[in-house]
Amino acid sequence: MIAYITRRLLLIAPVLLGVSIGSFALLQLVPGDPAMILAGQEATEEVLTRIRHEHGLDQPVAIQFLVYLRNAVGGNLGISIQSRQPVATLIAQRFPFTLRLAFLAILVSAALGVVAGIVAATRRNSMLDLAALLGSLVGISLPIFWLGLLMMLVFSVRLQWFPAGGSGTATHLVLPALVLGASSSAVIARMTRASMLEVLRQDYVRTARAKGLREQIVIYRHALKNAMIPILTVFGLEFGYNLGGAVLTETVFSLPGLGRLIVEGIFARDYPVVQGAMLVVATTFVLVNLLTDIAYAFFDPRIRYE
Amino acid sequence: MRRVVGLSLSAMLLGSAALPMAVPTAAQQAVRGGTLTFATGADPDSLDPQNTQSNPGEQVNRMMHENLIRFNAKMQLEPGLAESWSVSKDGLTWTFKLRKGVKFHDGTAFDAKAVKYFFDRVLGDEKPFKASLYTPVVQAAEVVDDATVRVRLKQPFGAFLFIMAHSAGAIVSPAAHQKWGKDLALHPVGTGPFKFVEWVKGDHVTMERNDAYWGGRPNLDRVLVKTVREDQSRVLMLESGDADLIVNIPTEEIPRLKKDPRFTIESSPTARALFIVINVKKKPFDDVRVRQALNYAVNRDAIVKELFQNNAQVIPGPVSPLQNGYAQLSGYAHDPKKARELLAQAGKPSLRVKLWSPKGRFVKDYELAQAVQQDLAAVGVEATLSTLEWGAYLAATKAPVDQTDRELFLLGWSPSTGEARWGTFPLLHSSQFAPKGDNRGFFASRALDEAIDKATLATTDPARLGALREAQQIAINEAPYIFLISPNMIVGTSKKVRDVVNLPLELTYLTEKSWKEK
Repeated sequence: MIAYITRRLLLIAPVLLGVSIGSFALLQLVPGDPAMILAGQEATEEVLTRIRHEHGLDQPVAIQFLVYLRNAVGGNLGISIQSRQPVATLIAQRFPFTLRLAFLAILVSAALGVVAGIVAATRRNSMLDLAALLGSLVGISLPIFWLGLLMMLVFSVRLQWFPAGGSGTATHLVLPALVLGASSSAVIARMTRASMLEVLRQDYVRTARAKGLREQIVIYRHALKNAMIPILTVFGLEFGYNLGGAVLTETVFSLPGLGRLIVEGIFARDYPVVQGAMLVVATTFVLVNLLTDIAYAFFDPRIRYE
Repeated sequence: MRRVVGLSLSAMLLGSAALPMAVPTAAQQAVRGGTLTFATGADPDSLDPQNTQSNPGEQVNRMMHENLIRFNAKMQLEPGLAESWSVSKDGLTWTFKLRKGVKFHDGTAFDAKAVKYFFDRVLGDEKPFKASLYTPVVQAAEVVDDATVRVRLKQPFGAFLFIMAHSAGAIVSPAAHQKWGKDLALHPVGTGPFKFVEWVKGDHVTMERNDAYWGGRPNLDRVLVKTVREDQSRVLMLESGDADLIVNIPTEEIPRLKKDPRFTIESSPTARALFIVINVKKKPFDDVRVRQALNYAVNRDAIVKELFQNNAQVIPGPVSPLQNGYAQLSGYAHDPKKARELLAQAGKPSLRVKLWSPKGRFVKDYELAQAVQQDLAAVGVEATLSTLEWGAYLAATKAPVDQTDRELFLLGWSPSTGEARWGTFPLLHSSQFAPKGDNRGFFASRALDEAIDKATLATTDPARLGALREAQQIAINEAPYIFLISPNMIVGTSKKVRDVVNLPLELTYLTEKSWKEK
């Protein structure tokens, strides 16, 4: 196990190198000049030249990449072109928001998705199944933007239960977590249903029932545990996705998260910020997937990593 | 020495449409205390006024810092940290008499030394971003006594007071600049009615009242400026009571919000001009008749009425009425017949053109370009409309003349100094061709250059205004743009909030007088 984890951790390095090359190349391909965006329409040539020089943008692209790589290896993610702050500081400010939101959202989607999926699978072809299927279809299809604004309209403007966006208190995170969780829960519900249906057909479930075990125990102890592997995979992916891709939720609810940092960074052509944030997202993605793989072994003791 | 306290442009303003300023229902007694939450569209770029290059930064800076001279809400100049000023006959030496007993938020004294420090900083080696406003103009500053500063210019400069009223002319505590250096951007120290508390990047800036403010104790205890990118989210925050003040309300939301008795929606004119730049180096746009025809084709009144629902005004030339130096001249009427005639004379009875517009950078920019596209089609000019993301658009419209095939492209310009010389020089002077300057259509006219130069070097106000008038007339005749409109800024507040300043430079901020009902 230890050897396996070590091997997986060592794999992070090539992944990060790949991500660095990819994001750097993509950013270079996008037209637009960071200095022009920063300094605005009124900027003089002198100011533009100075900004470019300050951030090494006047160097050949290959040199820029090597400098970035050397610094990144040494733990220095560079300075933001827009705010002239260290990228590491900006990420450190944003990451906790994103982590909290992603965590709460995954709780919401677990509560909604797994329960709906089990109910649907155990009462196959009933009205409840149909409702769960339909609900998840709606959940997948609803744009987050629309759902977020609708939730604000109902729970902030009409009922005044929760603040309409912003951050600061725990109540600020309720609506965003619900919105983000709802969209993942749809995927998870469908996966749970499919996986449970598969498992419920197995011999050992029939055996468990034949033994006279209570239906509850059959479902939760025997079936669900075995159905968990594909569900966990989706959890891992959704959680990873929420870390960098919750930008729509973050924008609607004005949360200063990592997703927004990346998207605003792209609009501003703030290369160091985008590259730094991509590294963090990629690292966490790899770590979350590693944790998922380890969790497989917990749910299915037959799985061994050697 | 002549005294020129409080230059006035009221004469020009009276001529323009009446300004819909917020009028409180009754003269109520201001209430003290409370926190005002202001939701704005973007995070400040910096809180060091000499390095701030964006409106979100400028409007926060204006609550904490002050200039020697300031704009009032009608863009007239009035005394700020200077009580009075005068200029020598040759226009080269300005003397400022400073307000006494003013202190910076860090307790150090505001005096002539602090003002000299400001000039030394912008003229010196540090070269903050906005230094370029001052370096071409100012030679040096000297302390005459504690409350008197003398500034020597390199050349007479008609708009000198306007660059002093610019957000970048704010006087910062020298002690703070020495202490923080580059990090002054995170630790602003000025003399304004509000003091800095904290800035959580991407989220909010908090300020608290400055009890030692020379203009009297501010009414509000605290101001919280929140970054809320999404237009609809800001509207919902106003409706839910999570924000007291919001900016950039989408036009389609205005009628609904106006009906709601809980809110005040203020639509006020700005200094911004929107226009479609014509690349005059491309045929057939080198022919003035073609450019004039394009101008006659557009129905500006219909655009203002239908598209902007009157939250805009028609402008005759390149300058908006709220730029100091605007001249009331007659522009192009909507005359499709004349447009066709001019095109026929130019040998182009039908024409295919490429039209570009940003989408979402200016109020209704893309819709505006679509309206122009339809009007052009009506006179036989078929325009294909395409858009680019703003960052790419800025770069694409600034390519040098031999590397571009751009023809017509929509742009907006709000001169940050609030006057028409900066509304014309960077855009239309032949020395300012892109990519060096902002003359993105490569327009060149010796007569226009001379008029702008005359305005630049003017030593009296009448001379400056006269030269600017001449420049605008030449621009209208030569039609380097399709002249369009000046959009309003649309700000919403809770009815409980009073005395918010909406400066036509698209800056919204609070002063010591702003207050909020309990």
